[in-house]
Amino acid sequence: MADRNTFRLMLLILGVVFAFLYIPISVLVGLSFNEGGLPTAWTGFSTKWYGALLENDDILKAAGNTLIVAVFSTLLSTILGTLLAVGVEIRRRNGKWLETVIFAPMIIPDIVLAIALLSMFSLMGVKMGLHTIIVSHVVFNLAFVCAVVRARLKSFDWSIVEASADLGGSTLNTLRRVVIPVLMPAIIAGALLAFTLSVDEFIIAFFTAGAGRSSITLPMQIFAMIRFGVTPEINALATLVMSVSVVALALSQRLNKGGLPGQ
Amino acid sequence: MSDAFLSIKDVNKTFGSVRAVDGVSLDIHENEFFALLGASGSGKTTLLRMLAGFEDLSGGDVVLEGASIAALPPNRRPVNLMFQSYALFPHMTVAQNIAYGLEMDRLPRAEIKTRVAEILEVIQLGHLAKRKPDQLSGGQKQRVALARALVKRPKVLLLDEPLGALDKKLRSEMQLELKRLQHEFGITFIVVTHDQEEALVMADRIAIMRDGGLLQVGTPQDIYEAPGTRFAADFIGVMNFLPVTAGDQGFVARDGSVILADRVNGTGGAIAAVRPERLVLGDRGQNTLRGTVTNTAYHGLDLLLHVTTRLSDAPVIARMTAELADTLRPEMGQEITLSWSAKDTHIFPA
Repeated sequence: MADRNTFRLMLLILGVVFAFLYIPISVLVGLSFNEGGLPTAWTGFSTKWYGALLENDDILKAAGNTLIVAVFSTLLSTILGTLLAVGVEIRRRNGKWLETVIFAPMIIPDIVLAIALLSMFSLMGVKMGLHTIIVSHVVFNLAFVCAVVRARLKSFDWSIVEASADLGGSTLNTLRRVVIPVLMPAIIAGALLAFTLSVDEFIIAFFTAGAGRSSITLPMQIFAMIRFGVTPEINALATLVMSVSVVALALSQRLNKGGLPGQ
Repeated sequence: MSDAFLSIKDVNKTFGSVRAVDGVSLDIHENEFFALLGASGSGKTTLLRMLAGFEDLSGGDVVLEGASIAALPPNRRPVNLMFQSYALFPHMTVAQNIAYGLEMDRLPRAEIKTRVAEILEVIQLGHLAKRKPDQLSGGQKQRVALARALVKRPKVLLLDEPLGALDKKLRSEMQLELKRLQHEFGITFIVVTHDQEEALVMADRIAIMRDGGLLQVGTPQDIYEAPGTRFAADFIGVMNFLPVTAGDQGFVARDGSVILADRVNGTGGAIAAVRPERLVLGDRGQNTLRGTVTNTAYHGLDLLLHVTTRLSDAPVIARMTAELADTLRPEMGQEITLSWSAKDTHIFPA
């Protein structure tokens, strides 16, 4: 019965790994519903900490900023990343070299990218604020969108592009009516991924937000609050941020797998 | 020049150092069903793609109704291509696929609707108008691809291996269907195929391509009955080849007998050729050979005898009609005599 025992052992290891991954998150989510607010004792279920969030102007302001940054950086990086992916796939002459250049921002440590962007903005004398965070987020999101769309392009049937031209379609019409609709699941998946990354990005936003509280984002707000200890409000806020990310990520995965019928 | 509708003039295509298409000149008539026939790598698809505008010409010109189209991009040529892979738009319905080309021409909505409905009627797929391509069978996809190209009423319709992906029975149905549609629409068809039977059945004229060049151009009868080269003879249909040496008395076979031939191609004849259906049992023609039946292949319509003879290394194949086979019943191992006429005998150089 060695097989059965091996199987049990594997199940056990799997359980331990998942516990390791998800117990902290479960604790966080659990405590956000703890009425007493103390991490040491469970005193009953309550959603009052979520209510408290809505009355905290600092948090609402930060949430608004995060939304602005996430929406605009997603929009820009999705458009640019998709065009980049299509362009690279059509002219694949520079192959490996070009690929490395495009995907570097995905691998370069955030802290390095953050310092680099800060240095560049300072050098150019740009006044920093939400717009610089947006530009900075586009820098790394571009690579992610491009990667997702390129993966889809690997199985793309280029003969439909020729068919469109043959039937009288201009380059623009072909892009608008054939290439983009067929790639749409991957484009949306890339956009959702970009949105998720932007929502909880801290380091780069922290460096490129400029001085003052006017362009503070949610992760920055949480960081500021946590200096006075973990409050139940932070648990509630973190739970909300995580929910947004999980939903976006799940949607992205789903779209990227299923795709259009006939693909 | 009077009846040249589409003129291909000394067209070349080189990919690096490879000459994919090598000095092809061809005049195609209006409303003609023309087949480019060749093995893979013969340059036939490259030539077709140049006509569609997907490959630039390395040299030469393409003239349609007196005007050069060689420099026009694909979307501005009055020519449509039916792709081998069909290349249907996966995100559009059948009706949307067909309407696409008309929308690109900015035709009025009402006219697009009528023309799409008409062509759906012609290809008998009206009931599938709202389906997506992945909900169609191979044969249905093929018809949609055809309709999408035909609905634009191009001056020339190019078809790249149009029946390649269909099974045998559907293929022979579609051969006749394509012919009917070509006749009905009055559009010049140029079809690329590697299937010699397909070319013989469908085309008004056939061009055999080899190594980027044209080997022979003619009607199916011309090409079948009077192949100009040994390659053409071998490529189209079945042909028996008997090595001969050219001497003072004529063409001498391996057993010393003289083979009489009316169709001598080139000089220094080295091989005689005759089609299986021109061989008859018994000593009834100008040329004869004796051999042993080593195999019989029953095809329903006919019976093919494989006869081993001293005249050639490969067995000679003789075709007998079912009726003849019933009465004569040739058996394996039987010694037989086959004969044929000089008018059916071809001679090719080595």
